Amino acid sequence: MAEQFVGKSHPRFDAEKVTGKARFINDIKAPRMLYGKILYSKRPHARITHIDTSKAERLQGVRAVLTGFNTPDVRVGFLGDQIALKRDKVRQFRDEVAAVAAINEEIAEEALELIRVEYEDLPAVFDPIEAMKEGAPLIHEVDARGKPRRNNILPLPWKLEAGDVQKGRSESAFVVKDTFRTTWVHQVCMGTSGCIAEFDVNNNLQFISVTNVPFGGKDRLDMFLRNLGIRGSTRILTPYVGGSFGSKLDTDIYEFIAVLLAWKTKCPVKILFDRLEEFTASPPRQPIIGTVEQGCDKDGRLTFRVVEMILDNGAYTSWGATTPSVMMVPISTLYRVPNISFRATCVYTNNIYAQAMRGYGNPQATYVVEQSMDQLAVEAGIDPIEFRLINANEPNETSPMGLKITTCPMKECLEEVKTRLDWKKKQGKHDGHGVGVACFLHVGGGARVYRSDAQGLILKVDDEGKVTAITGGTDQGQGSETIIRQMVAEATGFRPQDVNIFQGDTEICPWDVGTHASRHAFMVGHAILMAGAQVRAKLLAMASTWMGQLISRNLQKKARQDPDFKIPDVDLSLLSNPENLDISNGQIFLKSDPDNKLLRLPVAQIVRSAHMVGTGRGEMIVAEAFYDPPNEMLNAEGKGNLSCCYTFGAHGVEVQVDQETGQVTILNYVAAHDVGRAINPMLVKGQIYGATIMGAGYGLTEEMQVNAGRVMNPNLLDYKLLTAKDKIPIDPVIVEPIEPSGPFGLKGIGEPACVPAAPAIANAVADAIGVRIKDLPLSPEKVLAAIKGKGR
Amino acid sequence: MRSYEYLKPTSLKEALELLGRYGEKAKLVAGGTDLMVQWKKKIISPEYVISLRNVPELSFVTYESDLKIGSATTHRTLELSPIIREHFPILLDAVSNLGSVQVRNSATIGGNICNAAPSADTAPPLLALDAVAHIAGPQGERTMPIAEFFKGPSRTALASGEIVTHFSIPRPSPNTGMAYWKHTRRKAMDLPILGVAVLLSFGQDGKTCAKARISLGVAAPTPMRARKAEAYLEGKEVDRGALDEAGKIAAGEASPRTTIRGSQWYREEMIRVLVRRTGLMCIERAKGAAHG
Repeated sequence: MAEQFVGKSHPRFDAEKVTGKARFINDIKAPRMLYGKILYSKRPHARITHIDTSKAERLQGVRAVLTGFNTPDVRVGFLGDQIALKRDKVRQFRDEVAAVAAINEEIAEEALELIRVEYEDLPAVFDPIEAMKEGAPLIHEVDARGKPRRNNILPLPWKLEAGDVQKGRSESAFVVKDTFRTTWVHQVCMGTSGCIAEFDVNNNLQFISVTNVPFGGKDRLDMFLRNLGIRGSTRILTPYVGGSFGSKLDTDIYEFIAVLLAWKTKCPVKILFDRLEEFTASPPRQPIIGTVEQGCDKDGRLTFRVVEMILDNGAYTSWGATTPSVMMVPISTLYRVPNISFRATCVYTNNIYAQAMRGYGNPQATYVVEQSMDQLAVEAGIDPIEFRLINANEPNETSPMGLKITTCPMKECLEEVKTRLDWKKKQGKHDGHGVGVACFLHVGGGARVYRSDAQGLILKVDDEGKVTAITGGTDQGQGSETIIRQMVAEATGFRPQDVNIFQGDTEICPWDVGTHASRHAFMVGHAILMAGAQVRAKLLAMASTWMGQLISRNLQKKARQDPDFKIPDVDLSLLSNPENLDISNGQIFLKSDPDNKLLRLPVAQIVRSAHMVGTGRGEMIVAEAFYDPPNEMLNAEGKGNLSCCYTFGAHGVEVQVDQETGQVTILNYVAAHDVGRAINPMLVKGQIYGATIMGAGYGLTEEMQVNAGRVMNPNLLDYKLLTAKDKIPIDPVIVEPIEPSGPFGLKGIGEPACVPAAPAIANAVADAIGVRIKDLPLSPEKVLAAIKGKGR
Repeated sequence: MRSYEYLKPTSLKEALELLGRYGEKAKLVAGGTDLMVQWKKKIISPEYVISLRNVPELSFVTYESDLKIGSATTHRTLELSPIIREHFPILLDAVSNLGSVQVRNSATIGGNICNAAPSADTAPPLLALDAVAHIAGPQGERTMPIAEFFKGPSRTALASGEIVTHFSIPRPSPNTGMAYWKHTRRKAMDLPILGVAVLLSFGQDGKTCAKARISLGVAAPTPMRARKAEAYLEGKEVDRGALDEAGKIAAGEASPRTTIRGSQWYREEMIRVLVRRTGLMCIERAKGAAHG
């Protein structure tokens, strides 16, 4: 039977977001709730010699003032390299020095102003290359275990070697080498960070959180409680979340502080960031310095690629330091390159520290590789698209990293760009008008970064004929609330409007690894297929027990009420075999006679009968699934099949550069994406539009200006997000090779479009002005300086 | 934000009385789009906030012998005003590219001027139009050419207790072209990296420049006129070459700084380019005005 709901542009179900009725963390209040505020460091690197909180404590309405001096020394974070409230010293401007809980925000803020902190300045270092040098100021004197540290390099030596780079080099006819830089960019979620922490009388913590990793967050908070000596466990509840883009992957310091304040005051404590705090005290995407060398033979076939990345880790470590694991994917596998060497070094500095952001290292890596591809194409005298076609990935091949590519329409995507941009006519003019292209690949079927990449799901059918999907996943705006309904309806035989979703409660929802790595649709889709098949089977079995007698009763009743009605001669015994039955639109019917209204019953009636059996054994319909995909963790060499499948695509951009002002205007933008299969084409396009604009902002305007450790533009005026008026004429092209490993054929699409936008734009600008700009963003000043410096 | 008293006078007289009574403790608020930002950043913390929103004398647009704009007139009102659209395209350029529609619905021209930011979008057009500020205060009313109004970043010539009531702008002569160009990183919700206003009035031959005004935003501590560049153009037949030269002169008169929004060299470069481009727009518009 053809699919009824999957593959259709079903409108979104979360319309209450546009009516103002949706409840976000901002809207939630608890009885006796206090407001927590955090005092941040005034210095980038200094010893704290003294903190005087006495005035703040005396302020009426203040319920608690905490510092590192009156809270336990409990290490938190990915490498355990910080404590929630700093005591020995501060290492960045966002260091949390003190926290206040008060009866309202105004008093809490006033209390912060009354806290006196005395510092003794230490030499600071803000440049990762300087920080790597011998004799550079040590950001951390000891590691989490108390072992002395000798330098600022993190103990995370990311490395991948495959093939023989020397041999590749000797086989090369053309070689290019260059260094590129990217800057800090912020996720800028519409909803800022926030939480409410509350302990019950048994010392259990209820934590209302905007996390997109509820179970990981629960683990971290449970460990925090244990280390504090609190014998309770955590229940995480998530309300509607206004975007994540990676920012809500880790448990952030303010969350630990809220727990400390709630424990101290025995009241619910809410911490909610304002925009300034969001920009200065929540971790963004980190900058890199990337040096890439690669070569090709005389026919343009890639021979080797060597990439060295230096990541400015900032003062502490969150997930940003693990992004090289994903950088490896494009560095080893974007195009067919037999010989690979990749090394990444994360360096502590006195800058703000970094988290994950849409693409997880892939935007930086692809930016570096794709600019080098254009440079090599020029060197080899081959058109950039032809050069990419020569080297394009193909279906069913295994890359040097061990990624097993299944479906791969990279060539098709490149051809779409070529045709739709009228590439041949426009490329290579250097007259202010230019075109550029960049491809990408990204994980499309999960990413096994932990020992599990699973998602749990429970489906429950009630006697109103509704299905509830209880899932461990979260929605932060990506549209899963709509596609889950479409897929559940398809898998179970109900309608999307008959499906309800329950999520965001670790006490009830089955376990899930987290909504990251573009994995949600893939994992929940598989879980839905597994649990949905059980629901169908159970329902049909139940129907075979009840349908005959229910229909017989119905017919007799009708005959009693209507003297003209004659009970037809039907063989009700057929109904007692589940194999003869099918379910669609919440109705169960006879396969051999699907249009017969007399032999059809709504699920509700059957389930109700099975619930209400009088004396005897009733039944209910509940099914569960725990889908863990067959992907692999990377081994010690950084190799393995990280994802079940990989998604590919190409972005092509046509730009006009104002050669007097340096302003770049995007005239045309083709975003060709392999999505496996679009469950909801409208939402897929939404992801492509949104992520492309985010990527274009990365390329053109977005930049956290960090000067000596301080964020200089922590507001939406000076952090230049593109606005609705800056809309880019994006032509999203959905390519559907139908992925065999994906549920309903799909691949993940949450992150990919954010990846190739900046390099495609950079390549187009280089084509337009005949000179390449090697650091992001391509501001008018940099473009004009490049034009003026040309030929110098 | 500490607690404060919000006062809502319904006449200019009452507003002046309240301002006189509370003095330095009070702040005037019209649209609030600048005030609220400063308040939240704790640059100011008024005990009394005097709203001008309900003072009818401060919100109007009339065009008789001259153009008069009440100080509490919103940008959106000006943007939609047929008078502004038809006769003062230089103001339309400025008011229709400020913030967003939501901001323009609230922000007023008086607020934009009295906030005295070097980047104020309406300042270069008012300078180019030879606008006069009408000021009411404890000593009665006085007037002041807008060119004398700005004293520094966030500083004006207003004395304590004074309120700008309206601006008057002389009727431009026929054969006049005028334009404002706001150079930004993005198309909305932005402040100018540089603002350039040019007004060119041509003689009866339609070629010789009878009057030139070139004014710049974000090019100095206050919005400024490039008087040498203006003088260079007056009496000349204005073409691309002349405007190029005027741009160079203007860049020499300006003293832009390097800030997070743009560096000095870039701003100087943009003065050269944008004075010429805006001047060329004026020539086009003057032709249109002559024929229309």
